[in-house]
Amino acid sequence: MAEPGVKPKVKVRFYRFQNRLKEKAAGAAGFKGSGEISADLLAKAEAALQQMSEDYPDWVSKLVDRLYEQHRRCVDTPGQRRSFFEELRRVAHDMRGQGGTFGYPLISEVAESLYQFTGPHSGQSDNHIEVIKAHIDAMRVIIRNRVKGDGGAIGEQLLKALRAAIEKYNVK
Amino acid sequence: MAKYDLERFSILIVEDNLFIRALIANSLKTMGVGRLFTCEDGGEAIEFLKLVKTDPMKAGTMTIDIIVSDWQMSPVDGMMLLRWVRRHKDSTDRFIPFIMITAFSEAERVAEARDLGVTEFLSKPFSIESVWKKILAVIDRPRQFVHTATYFGPDRRRQDLGHEDGERRTLDDRSPEVEIIRG
Repeated sequence: MAEPGVKPKVKVRFYRFQNRLKEKAAGAAGFKGSGEISADLLAKAEAALQQMSEDYPDWVSKLVDRLYEQHRRCVDTPGQRRSFFEELRRVAHDMRGQGGTFGYPLISEVAESLYQFTGPHSGQSDNHIEVIKAHIDAMRVIIRNRVKGDGGAIGEQLLKALRAAIEKYNVK
Repeated sequence: MAKYDLERFSILIVEDNLFIRALIANSLKTMGVGRLFTCEDGGEAIEFLKLVKTDPMKAGTMTIDIIVSDWQMSPVDGMMLLRWVRRHKDSTDRFIPFIMITAFSEAERVAEARDLGVTEFLSKPFSIESVWKKILAVIDRPRQFVHTATYFGPDRRRQDLGHEDGERRTLDDRSPEVEIIRG
């Protein structure tokens, strides 16, 4: 206990504010308890997301082209592979964050693998370049054939082939 | 149930991926959010937040109500932005709700963001429902802010669940070492 008359040093501050966001959202009259937005607005937002999902394969095809372009450079100019790897990794990062949202979790999975594979400490041998190509090929197959969800048997086959390529070239 | 109207909300979206950025902006707009602002990385967001404070006319808004930010961006990522918002002396609103977007591979790192004072997590891949739930959580369930020698941010205890190893908090509202600030 503190000595009477001696104020102990404050160790914890709690800030308790009025909920101004709720005031903004609930309007002047306000209300108690939880609120919601209209089901109609949510349905419209869902429809907008669906619309964007339909554009997704076209969008991601362009990213796959960019990956092929970087792969080609890795083959043509081995001395500069480090910088090409950085670009590969950047694109892979973009793709791994998108695929699942638009119904293509396999794209996310392959992109994640490519992202890990092209990290700053990754090797850059010709074998590595082959494995990179195997990743990009898998992505192209997924998009061309519109392989949604986990892809069932095709999905399994694709991932198996990719793992086999990594195994074959014995690279990490 | 009573309806919320987000027309008066200003939300800042910080996301380096154009497609995802457009998706979030589009979704929030359709849900009725009045004003949306977008930045491509944390650095741009910091400059924008400063501009809101110093020149709201130029920024196009007097205030930002919620920040929705991706985690992985370069050069300034979501964690650096969060740290600036919560701790930097130039921060314009240290109490602003901050929703962090996380990819599946970042699951193990959420404790790191929690300890920097994140408000909510939105995990990718996301759905309209998950986006709305996070916005709703921010509106409906704000937490008190806690400031100690080692932490500043929303209370990390969301529920009073009881603790197997006993209560480790030694101070409460009546302790003289506790100061309560209301506003």
